[in-house]
Amino acid sequence: MALVALAVGFLIAGQLKAQLLTPSNQVARTQALIHSVQDLERTNDADRQKIAALRAQIAALEAQAASDSATTAALRNEVAELRAHAGLTAIHGPGVEIDLTNGDPSTDPTDQGRYLVNYQDVQDLVNLMFASGAEGVAVSDRRITPISSFTGSEGEVVIDQGPPLFAPIRVVAVGDRSLMQSAMTDPNQLTSLRIRVIQFGVGLKVTGLGDASLPAYDASLEIPYVGPA
Amino acid sequence: MSARPSSRPQRSRSTGGAFAVWTIALLVALVATIQLRSQAEVERSLQSVDPASLAFSIDQLHRANESLDAQISTLNQQVAALQSGGGSAADQELTAEALHLRMLEGLVPVQGPGIVFTLDASGLTSIDLQDAINNLEAGGGEAMEVNLHRVVEGVVINQGDNGVTIDGSVLQAPWVFVVVGDPTRLGETADEMTRQLRGDRRVREAAYRVEPNLVIRAVVSERPFVYASPS
Repeated sequence: MALVALAVGFLIAGQLKAQLLTPSNQVARTQALIHSVQDLERTNDADRQKIAALRAQIAALEAQAASDSATTAALRNEVAELRAHAGLTAIHGPGVEIDLTNGDPSTDPTDQGRYLVNYQDVQDLVNLMFASGAEGVAVSDRRITPISSFTGSEGEVVIDQGPPLFAPIRVVAVGDRSLMQSAMTDPNQLTSLRIRVIQFGVGLKVTGLGDASLPAYDASLEIPYVGPA
Repeated sequence: MSARPSSRPQRSRSTGGAFAVWTIALLVALVATIQLRSQAEVERSLQSVDPASLAFSIDQLHRANESLDAQISTLNQQVAALQSGGGSAADQELTAEALHLRMLEGLVPVQGPGIVFTLDASGLTSIDLQDAINNLEAGGGEAMEVNLHRVVEGVVINQGDNGVTIDGSVLQAPWVFVVVGDPTRLGETADEMTRQLRGDRRVREAAYRVEPNLVIRAVVSERPFVYASPS
């Protein structure tokens, strides 16, 4: 009976798969590229988990050492403060959430791609949040650090070591909520985005949060070419 | 008649068993469907991306994963040192990390190879400056100053009445970016930026030079959190 149940389950799933995925020979090359991207994204995800686990292990070992020495404890406190500002510690506090969604495609070919949320929108938004009292920002659960950068192509947002993000994009900032909210209502800010909100229906929704949470950064902060002067 | 009472519970057990089996079947189908649907949605979101963008993603992810591997290697070394060395090793590791984070956060002067990028123009906006900074950071920059102002993410760049400001100070033209980082990647990025900027009517000059060692003396001041607390 259980086997029948499983068979029924997989039969239904198989039928749905056939409906949802429609592979075509015409897109075989694109499919190969997509699979490469997916493989690399899986590696990227596994590496991030490894980094988070190693950082937790280091913190535990340091805590152990700090319990035996006042010098170590003082150093640990100093580093904890620096880690928090570098984005290596999860933080929470009052803040705002900004949700960005793609608009509707235009029939005018010269407008191609303008209905999509792009990396410059996200870059402008993050910069505006920091300029308006944010103490920490995360983009779709990716924490922004002092050396974060934004790249991408049409509709694709890459932050630091990726992987690429696509709309809907959720920007959460912790800091001076009233300043950040009033910046979001200032018509002189985010002009490119605001125009596309009107022209293409790009979604821009701002919500004030009493207690917003930001995750810790889980990627590389290596700066191999920089040394102390 | 006597069989009825005894058959009732039996039939009830049988009905209950069948219900459980069909519930399991339904759940299995549901879980499989959800998994396939999310897989399909991921594929669909990528399907909408053109091959050139996918190639860009592959290149970017290769580089990103190499960078993550390097970070894993560094963290593994830290773990090994902490596990073998006791309190003094912890002090050494913490001291080294404090310096690393101070350099990263722009709190101390730094040096290293990189480029000096000069942009002389009129009418440039804060968005132009933010774009240039972002391009140089994405192109291998690890530490940067602009007209002797240290720049890290979070430094306030605004459009003031008298022009672009960094942390409240007006930035006069020309803008001189001193960037420490991978000189090869930075050179390529600056080359591309220079080409694009020379096509901009507002730009009088856009040029760069690669240097084996640059010193960045400007620093940002520490800003304690007022609103944020550790989770």
